[in-house]
Amino acid sequence: MTTAESARFDQDDADVVVIIGSGAGGGTLAHELTEKGVKVVLLEAGGHLTNEDYHNNEWEAFNQMAWLDPRTTSGSWRIARDFPNLPAWLVKAVGGTTTHWSGATPRFKAHEFKTRTAYGRIDGANLLDWPITLDDLAPYYDRAEQKIGSTHRHGRPALPANNNYKVLAAGAERIGYRHYATGPYGTNAEPYDGRPASIQDGFNFQGDKNKSKWSILVSEIPKALRTGKLDLRPNSHAVQITHTAEGLVDSVLYVDGDGNLQRQRARIVAVAGNAIETPRLLMLSGSPMFPDGLANSSGQLGRNYMRHTTGSVYAKFDKPVHMYRGETMAGLVADESRHDVDRGFAGGYYLETIALGPAFLASFVDPGAWGPGFASLLDDYENTAGLWIVGEDMPQETNRVTLNTAVTDRLGLPVPNVHFDDHENDTAMRNHGYQQASLLYEAVGALSSHHTPPYPATHNMGTARMSARPEDGVVNGFGQTHDVKNLFVSDGSQFTTGAAANPTLTIVALAIRQADYMAQQMASAAI
Amino acid sequence: MAYPAKYSALNELQLSEEARRTLTRIIRVAFPHPAVPDGPYERMTEKIVSEAQASTWFRVALTQGLLTLDSLTEEHFLDLPDDRALAVLKRISDLDFFGFIRRTTVLNFYDDPEVWDVLGYEGESFSRGGYINRGFNDLDWLPEPRIEESDEDLTEIGPLPYDIAQQAPDRAEPAGQTGGVPSEEQFSDLFKGSDTVNEGNTAS
Repeated sequence: MTTAESARFDQDDADVVVIIGSGAGGGTLAHELTEKGVKVVLLEAGGHLTNEDYHNNEWEAFNQMAWLDPRTTSGSWRIARDFPNLPAWLVKAVGGTTTHWSGATPRFKAHEFKTRTAYGRIDGANLLDWPITLDDLAPYYDRAEQKIGSTHRHGRPALPANNNYKVLAAGAERIGYRHYATGPYGTNAEPYDGRPASIQDGFNFQGDKNKSKWSILVSEIPKALRTGKLDLRPNSHAVQITHTAEGLVDSVLYVDGDGNLQRQRARIVAVAGNAIETPRLLMLSGSPMFPDGLANSSGQLGRNYMRHTTGSVYAKFDKPVHMYRGETMAGLVADESRHDVDRGFAGGYYLETIALGPAFLASFVDPGAWGPGFASLLDDYENTAGLWIVGEDMPQETNRVTLNTAVTDRLGLPVPNVHFDDHENDTAMRNHGYQQASLLYEAVGALSSHHTPPYPATHNMGTARMSARPEDGVVNGFGQTHDVKNLFVSDGSQFTTGAAANPTLTIVALAIRQADYMAQQMASAAI
Repeated sequence: MAYPAKYSALNELQLSEEARRTLTRIIRVAFPHPAVPDGPYERMTEKIVSEAQASTWFRVALTQGLLTLDSLTEEHFLDLPDDRALAVLKRISDLDFFGFIRRTTVLNFYDDPEVWDVLGYEGESFSRGGYINRGFNDLDWLPEPRIEESDEDLTEIGPLPYDIAQQAPDRAEPAGQTGGVPSEEQFSDLFKGSDTVNEGNTAS
């Protein structure tokens, strides 16, 4: 089926909702609104790659898909030393980071919406309860899981066990874990919603040529285009959101594919550039009325940047594994995702299968390393299994995105700086995860296991967080900014806290709910 | 003594045969894979030479480094056995000369199909139908696992009602102890096509 033509709305059409960013949040919002008959202009900084364009090669795919506009970093995290200009591994293309994600879809737990209450005060952590509960979001989680086709949910069958999962599950069982499965996961085990079943090709991170993985690109964009209400504009990099003297947003300035500045008028603006670009754009939109950046009366914009306590463990065995064959992350161990202070930290984490090819493994397994020890890590590649630890990291006010006015990008705009330091809780959780992963692998015969430090983050959250009170955050429970009622945030920047779960399902659920609210507000002319 | 560059042609890297062999030997000692044949190492040498064409700093550091590597020992670097050659490299591992070689090798050597053959990676798979019929689940030395979720409730808060192993593992390696010298170097050119970025001050 060919993709439907994009609608074309006039730049002076003030009736449109302008969404900035076509990832999990922006793309879902666009689809949901267009199904309700709302006119949407969707600005995407990147180009319109299709599944046919993708490469089954890690570096080629990375160079094709990744957000490579320069960023700077600071802080004590290892990223600032190893990857100083690449704090995050995100996508600059239609579909955003959903084209790169691997697809685990667990829900948040009830207490993860109430961490200030559940965990108490933690020194140095800027914990806050969300202004919504799991009960508020549950019906939207249902809709998100159905939209994505999450396995293990609503009758969707489970993916089969691949080699990497066999090692994970056997190890989990041996050390006493009980909650392991090949999902919930956002790639089809059987055909669903016009998408084929997985052929287990192992290149999920590289876009998925087979189209069995749900993404905004394969699902939400085509459906939105068919409504005739979506004006999709790739190669359109938003540089400022303008506002009226009354303090309402009224247009978005963006640079088009020819390098010219354009202006699209807007009735409502929704920002969904992921957790680094969203605060950056709002800061670039500062004015005398909003001296600290648009919608930043709280001072929390850009702050509380979270990236999950990540770390990987790769273990060598004396027999082949071929971990790269098959779905990259269709394997979760959930026993440690609980909150249990007896372990020495608050919050929890999942252990999920992961595999990298030799090219990426060499680059990320131990950045800066070389010599016989490093070479031996790669020599045993065929007999290597891998997992990564995904855990809740603490929001800290000092972990933040700011504008680096000394460094500009090719558009002449100040680049974002990401500052990050681990909290003690993060370190304790990561170390526990490393320990448990090594025990898991040793229980099934690992000769050795290697702990890989956190690398550029694919989970980025918190920089325009939800709060009940305007003093504590940037948006309310619908992602509507406290300061400007026709300005919304639609991506993971909204997360008050990060939970242990992979964020995409929650971003999609929030976007579906936000669309319902936005449409209702528009219908009653409140905005 | 190797004179790797003709000074009358500074805008191009011109390596003597001996300098070229020295570079290949550096790569082989720094990333020793006995089962990998010469081809990938020689291709890496060519790759480093071509990267050097694009970067003045890379080119001059590489030239000077290869020129003076022999100054660290009484014998030629090319004559040293593996362990003594490795010791020489450890002494220079903080230099940008070595850093360029190391980073370029890490980013390219393991992307070579001949290296993949040795390591047991099969590369591109979509055009061959993925792995669904080519062994995605052929591991046979562990039992077939459950793929469905457990029927039991998952504890959300507090300790698990069952025991799990929790002692220190026996054979775990933290990052940075893989036998190479842990380096303080930066991975600043991980990507291509971006602006050169320097340290700057952030807006407060």
